Amino acid sequence: MDVRTCLIVDDSRIIRKVARRIVEGLGFEVDEAADGAEALAYCASAMPEIVLLDWNMPVMDGLTFLRRLREQTGGDRPKVLFCTIETAPERIAEALAAGADEYVMKPFDGEILQSKFAEVGAV
Amino acid sequence: MTQDDFDRLQTLLASRAGFRLTRDRIHLAEHRLAPVARRESFDSVDAMLASLWAKPVASLGWAVIEAMLNAETWFRRDRAPFDTFARELLPAIGRVRPEGRVRVWSAGCSSGQEAYSLAIGALDAGANVEITATDLSQRAIDKARAGLFSGFEVQRGLPTPSLLRWFQPSEDQWAVRPELAAAVRFARANLLDEPAGDQKFDVIFCRHVLNDMDAARRGGVIESLERRLVDDGCLFLGPDERLDGDTVAFRPVTGRRGLFVKTPSALSRAA
Repeated sequence: MDVRTCLIVDDSRIIRKVARRIVEGLGFEVDEAADGAEALAYCASAMPEIVLLDWNMPVMDGLTFLRRLREQTGGDRPKVLFCTIETAPERIAEALAAGADEYVMKPFDGEILQSKFAEVGAV
Repeated sequence: MTQDDFDRLQTLLASRAGFRLTRDRIHLAEHRLAPVARRESFDSVDAMLASLWAKPVASLGWAVIEAMLNAETWFRRDRAPFDTFARELLPAIGRVRPEGRVRVWSAGCSSGQEAYSLAIGALDAGANVEITATDLSQRAIDKARAGLFSGFEVQRGLPTPSLLRWFQPSEDQWAVRPELAAAVRFARANLLDEPAGDQKFDVIFCRHVLNDMDAARRGGVIESLERRLVDDGCLFLGPDERLDGDTVAFRPVTGRRGLFVKTPSALSRAA
């Protein structure tokens, strides 16, 4: 069976840990990155199937990462789910316009992540 | 709560709501009834129940019943039925109805997520629908009508583009936009009662309702759903809900889990 990978990008170790437990429960192998630059380097060597992406992070924010990812060869393949505390409709629309496949507002729980993974056809 | 209190509670739920309160729910009952007791100014759940048994006040009885019902619901719960509804049924039924008007009933709609999901599917498809949504619980109907949902609620089952299109932020919640609210008519109704009026529906969603019902009342409810459904109509139940042994009026549709249509023997008996 193919290994399905999800890259969790968030500068909070606690959020990464919480999200990892849920995403592993959905049958994914999980890797972590603490900012957009780290995530971009990861994707350059191996594209994950799913990226769970925070917005505000040091070094490189989520929106910049997403735009750069979509310019890379094969960078259109990963399903990208923004996962942030931003809840203003115009910010959500901005994320979708930049190429995000779905949008998760923090706080979230296992049911919400499962629902969003289903929305992008990942479960 | 004593065992006697719980037995009486079981009887109350079964007789008034047709709801099967299983024996393992005694702690859940304590937990759910505590806020009702506070709201109704009783010192404890025990005091509230003692008062209810001594002098059955309808409003208190219903407050107790409502607190015990299973209100769990999601937007587009189980997903597939909503796609079948919007992509297959609406165009097919709309073609053979005057002005393409399709009448839909969300029976046991709880706080309204199912009805709004049906309305979103129909409005996105440009279909002409009339959606009626009913629930036994007045509190659930009040919430449905208010159309205010938390961040948790809108994220269970609602795709983000639908959230942006059909909701707007309202303080720390999300409010249904007026165009969406206008597509659904909410009313309190008990599935055990004889329906008021003789309106029939093309599609009935009655999902995750029958499995919680008392065996003695299921048959009657299924029969009344059958009477309210047009001959070529469709009935949706939850994916794990079966009608085997309850009725010969419906048969499941192969490949569409939870979808039922009338059997030939049930057609136009009343005609």
